[in-house]
Amino acid sequence: MLQITNLHAAVEGKEILKGVNLTIADGEVHVLMGPNGSGKSTLSHVLVGNPKYEVTEGTITFNGKDLLAMSPEDRSHEGLFMSFQAPIEIPGVSMTNFLRAAVNAKRKYFGQEPLPATDFLRMLREKRKLVGLDAHFMSRGVNEGFSGGERKRNEIFQMAVLEPLFSILDETDSGLDVDALRIVAEGFNMLRNERTSAMVITHYQRMLDYLRPDFVHVLVNGRIVREGDASLGYAIEEKGFDWIKNEAEAAAAAQNR
Amino acid sequence: MASIDQYLSIFADCRALIDAGSNAAMNARRDEAARLLARQGLPTLRTERYRYCDVEQALSPDYGLNLQRHLPAADPYRTYRCGVPTLATTALRYVVNDSPAPAALSAPALPEGLTVCSLAEAAQRCPDLMERYYHRAAAEGADSLAALNAMLAQDGILVHAAPGTTIADPIQIVQVMAATRPLMANRRLLVVAEAGATLPLLLCDHATSPCATLATHVTEVYAEDGARIDLYRVEETNAAHTRLAGLYARIGASATLRYHDVTLTCGLTRTTADIVLDAPGAHVTADGAVVADGYQKADHNLLIDHRAPECTSDLYYKYVLDDHATGAYAGRVLVRPGAQHTQSEQTNANMCAATTAHAWSQPMLEIYADDVRCNHGSSTGKLDDAALFYMQQRGIPEAEARLLLRHAFINDVLQRIALDPLRERLSYLVEKRFRGHLDACGSCAMCSGKH
Repeated sequence: MLQITNLHAAVEGKEILKGVNLTIADGEVHVLMGPNGSGKSTLSHVLVGNPKYEVTEGTITFNGKDLLAMSPEDRSHEGLFMSFQAPIEIPGVSMTNFLRAAVNAKRKYFGQEPLPATDFLRMLREKRKLVGLDAHFMSRGVNEGFSGGERKRNEIFQMAVLEPLFSILDETDSGLDVDALRIVAEGFNMLRNERTSAMVITHYQRMLDYLRPDFVHVLVNGRIVREGDASLGYAIEEKGFDWIKNEAEAAAAAQNR
Repeated sequence: MASIDQYLSIFADCRALIDAGSNAAMNARRDEAARLLARQGLPTLRTERYRYCDVEQALSPDYGLNLQRHLPAADPYRTYRCGVPTLATTALRYVVNDSPAPAALSAPALPEGLTVCSLAEAAQRCPDLMERYYHRAAAEGADSLAALNAMLAQDGILVHAAPGTTIADPIQIVQVMAATRPLMANRRLLVVAEAGATLPLLLCDHATSPCATLATHVTEVYAEDGARIDLYRVEETNAAHTRLAGLYARIGASATLRYHDVTLTCGLTRTTADIVLDAPGAHVTADGAVVADGYQKADHNLLIDHRAPECTSDLYYKYVLDDHATGAYAGRVLVRPGAQHTQSEQTNANMCAATTAHAWSQPMLEIYADDVRCNHGSSTGKLDDAALFYMQQRGIPEAEARLLLRHAFINDVLQRIALDPLRERLSYLVEKRFRGHLDACGSCAMCSGKH
């Protein structure tokens, strides 16, 4: 599904990603861990085409297409979704209108007619139940007056509506209490199938418990320095990142010698 | 020759003609207006309230005047056919250029207690009322443009609600500028709600001529004790049109004025609004929504004069400016000595969608009473990049995302309109405007089924 090769990216002239290689196949869930500032969010934003992030080198192929050549909205239509670490508030644009615009833009991209209003509203109702989001949120502005937990739940709700092939969860678990985390994770799991994949950024073991990822990658200083299965995640939970950092530095030093 | 001289000399040369085409009540106020105008001249860019409106330039072209009162050949009720799919009105009247058109033959009878007629008719039928109200509130501010209007205007419309009358659906007045050569129109509107009356009013300003046109407007609004006036104004004029308007309102004890001003398209539009809270318990809300692009210019200059205790005022103006458009807002809330327990809110927010657009914002508070609660605020910014990207990530194309954000920004002002069908209609028109589908097509978009 996704192939990232030698990816370098910068923000405001400062290089953050320094050669990331990552391949994610259909149906796989990958967890990305790493200390603060290692480039996890940068990688997410580069994937979805945030114009603030500049790709200086490397390629990204998404289902055979050159992702970097696509606009953010086309990436979305092709099946890329990001659950934002800090979902944006858009006062005055109701959830319903926002999602109608999104759903119909995607349909237009694939040459389909807009979804009839009754079908659209029925679909919203079904997806809302999946994540336990109350109906009154639909007439509010996007994330307007939503609590932290409601915003995260809203991200998963939008994911359910848009049915992406590849989802990025950027610390969707942060700021959630145990119950909210369970609802979000269960919602995510319900949307999973053999055709969809995900990249999940998290610091928490609880998320590993819920998601049972296929692979765990550790990003340090803009490079993936260690990869493994879920047990790597639990090891980090127990021992922190320092031992990996030290190993990575030792390896780099050995290479330079 | 300064612009002022051409108007003063027209007045001197054509006085008999002007009077003959007008009525006694209006003629009685011309000399005083002409004297004021000759004495103080036109405002310049150094005049405090006109810093962003070049009146001299606006008035310098040689516009024609319709002093002989030629009526337009076309019947506006046919030409500007109104389908009225959503908006029920109590009465519909047209003003073409400077001439009130007689009511359509098919027009329903007016409800008891409501008068809608030309000022010429009013001068005959109710001279006392004209004497009491015509050019009283407007004269007080000694504004040169109001004086220019009073000197030259020959007719207009009176809307009067007798004591205790309740009108549910608005009276709609459509003012159209349609000329084949450069033309100046001087328009008057006199709105009186007697004690305890409720009067909703919708004004639509249109200009469709490709040639240069200028309209001066003086609208006087009197809400007597316990009355309520809802005044909606929607402007869809074009780039060749200059609109110089004054709104002069007096609000009595426990009376309310709700004023909503929506500019969808314009050339240069300027509104000077002097609103006097005259007696205890008077309330005013005024809100404005401006959408401007190209080289359009919208300038609102408000004075809210708190003269009595226990009054409230609430101002809320928002502008979305694109391309080389200019928006100017100034709101001065004056709390006079003794106007205790005044409550006043004032917000002006502007969104510049292009770096070449300009917004000038000047909310002011001037307080001479010591027990009051007054707030004012102003913000000017651009489109929110983070929101734009969030929407794009969800698949909403950039152009559509920009549209939704700008629409939301303006729609927020429209939420203050209590009349549901009107609010929905305006919200829809603002969206059309942003989509570029709102063209000056010659019919009233407020009610035509075509839009």
